[in-house]
Amino acid sequence: MTTTLATGAVTQRRPASRAGTAVTRPGFAWALPATVFFVLFAIVPLVLVAVLSFTRWNGLGSPEFAGLDNWSRLFDDPVMVKSLWLSLLLTLLGVAVQTPISILLGVWAAGNQRNRAVLSAIYFVPLLLSATAVSVLWRALLDPNFGIPAEAEWLFGDGNLFGTQTGAIGVLVLVGAWQFTPFHTLIYQGAARAVPQVLYQAAAIDGAGTVRQFFHITLPQLRNAIITSVILMVVGGLTTFDTVLILTQGGPGTDTTISAYYMYQKAFKGFDFGTGSAVALLLVLVAAVISLVVVRLSGYDRMRSTTEGL
Amino acid sequence: MRRHARISRALAAGSAAVVLGMTLTACGSGSGSSGDSGSGEIHVLVYGDATNKVEKQIVDTFNKTSKVKAVLDTIPGADYQQKLQTIINTKQAPDVFFNWGGGSIKPFVDAGLLMPLDDMIAKDPGLKANFLPSVFDTAVVDGKAYGVPMRGTQPVLLFSNTKVLADAGVAAPKTFDELLAAVQTLKAKGVTPIALGGGDQWPTLMWFEYLYDRVAGPELFHKALGGDKAAWASEDSRKALGMIKQLIDAGAFGTNFDSVKFTDGGSPALLARGKAAFELMGSWEYSTQQDANPDFTKASLGYSSFPTVAGGKGDPKNVVGNTNNFYSVLKKTKHPEAVAEFLKLQYSDEFVQGQMAIGNLPTTTNTPKFLSGAANPAYSTFQFDLVKAAPSFQLSWDQAYPPAAITPIHQAVQQFFNGQIDENGFVKAMQALPSS
Repeated sequence: MTTTLATGAVTQRRPASRAGTAVTRPGFAWALPATVFFVLFAIVPLVLVAVLSFTRWNGLGSPEFAGLDNWSRLFDDPVMVKSLWLSLLLTLLGVAVQTPISILLGVWAAGNQRNRAVLSAIYFVPLLLSATAVSVLWRALLDPNFGIPAEAEWLFGDGNLFGTQTGAIGVLVLVGAWQFTPFHTLIYQGAARAVPQVLYQAAAIDGAGTVRQFFHITLPQLRNAIITSVILMVVGGLTTFDTVLILTQGGPGTDTTISAYYMYQKAFKGFDFGTGSAVALLLVLVAAVISLVVVRLSGYDRMRSTTEGL
Repeated sequence: MRRHARISRALAAGSAAVVLGMTLTACGSGSGSSGDSGSGEIHVLVYGDATNKVEKQIVDTFNKTSKVKAVLDTIPGADYQQKLQTIINTKQAPDVFFNWGGGSIKPFVDAGLLMPLDDMIAKDPGLKANFLPSVFDTAVVDGKAYGVPMRGTQPVLLFSNTKVLADAGVAAPKTFDELLAAVQTLKAKGVTPIALGGGDQWPTLMWFEYLYDRVAGPELFHKALGGDKAAWASEDSRKALGMIKQLIDAGAFGTNFDSVKFTDGGSPALLARGKAAFELMGSWEYSTQQDANPDFTKASLGYSSFPTVAGGKGDPKNVVGNTNNFYSVLKKTKHPEAVAEFLKLQYSDEFVQGQMAIGNLPTTTNTPKFLSGAANPAYSTFQFDLVKAAPSFQLSWDQAYPPAAITPIHQAVQQFFNGQIDENGFVKAMQALPSS
């Protein structure tokens, strides 16, 4: 957020100052607060984490330089490798589950009947709850002896959802979708509202039904919204932490120990800040690379307008 | 976006710990810094919870007679360990602080921050003699005493629903074989024999702690903790693992224990509603049940010590659990004499009565005088006698080991219980633990 603001302000003002008409340089001054905060709270910590990842430090005294120790141990660590795959898997499942649902809901909520407005308002409630509250709630709902599984044995068997990898991942995906689908629905609702009505009118005249209109007009028009939403899901998915902390604690065993949670275990439970920092940095790198790839492959960086040629 | 913000915050938290260490001001109710010389104050840092009531009272009593004044600082529960670790090597460090003994203070001892209490004890033997030995020993590191017990003891006991047991015609098991037999009978009645909050992982660990102690005695674990990796591969170790496996395979814990938690009331509810017959839990099970199910607690909450194991090397009177909490002293305190005087209050009659009044069971030798005034005298007496008679009180494994071992221990325990690793896998996991 802060970067866009900063660079945006700078580029807008640049021609003016270049032309020599501006007495002062308001563009830079406006960007200064945001830049300072961004450097202070994003760049400096990132650099500190990078430095810490080459040290041994348990929080007592001063960090000791450890060379590449933390890193070499990390790459030999089966849990670390597994945690990266689990992070990717959870992210992919999240995208796969949430995208179709939120597109359909978003397009539906973009309609203009009164009941839709009320229903979609209710539907956005999960987004307002903290992930912690949501996790505690679901943990209680899924208790094998006193929750939903006890009432629906035909579906859940013995209800050992948190005792198997499939079950635990399933719960994490479900809870993530329950909480964050509303957010992505919001994106799609906005995008669907922006589709020019003239396209639908033309299609209707040509005899296209609702389904054809959806696939040939709405979906292509939502292209940029889809990319935005997927990038947010990827970044959010890779850094999921609170739901894992409360719902599964990385268990059973290490079956849901995703990288962000692994970082927490190393740094804040084991007081091994060096290794924790290395995990954190690795996660930042992986997330950055994946985001770049998505942006590149989707052509999002060229920002073609969906209303071109209209 | 919110999630994105959260990760940068987490990153910031990781690195900002450096900054925090330098800028963190005194916490909780107290103010000012103990580092300022001549201030005539000692800072006492404790875990913030309901027990603070007694600690405040003791500090007030101390300040009535002492020239050097004590200041009580509190850090709320969940953050205690992290914040302590952040400030202990800075100017804001307290003079005296709350801890769990064992592994929780080992890193501080290794960093040379703590004062051995041996000189204080030499001047006033009561600082050692007035506490139950099995408890006092928990805060002995490398042969030196580093702490004085300061709250209530929490041994692990075998709790039961006496109504369920009576309905099934089962008595509280005295031996492991009786426990196995009880499991069969209860299963036939359609009851889960033992409630287990496996989702929390530490309740599962309690079964290992007791069976290892009964089979091999406390020495095996002490050796392992000291770095002797062969101890985990020993015959006794495998025998204990075999017995745990026997219980699991007999269906003692049902099949969904990893989805049940103690902390959200899941496993206590199983016991209270008669869906399970036993639960192995710390002595706080009593207050937990009292709070959630008062009628059940009054009518049919049973408790007994852990069953004996035929041919086992461990004394059947041994107990495991959280021995107590401790006050440790920082080496750089400016007022060691005042601290010594303050520590003496931890075995005073006033302290014991205060703790008993809020349901804690202190581990001082004068405790029996006040047992009749406890909320439940029979239960308190049972606990006190158990701890007093115990030749060994093993601190929970995850607290005896340094913090880096907590996660691997919990993982290994959970994986062994649900069959993801076998005996060899468990032995290997324990051998890989960092032994301080």
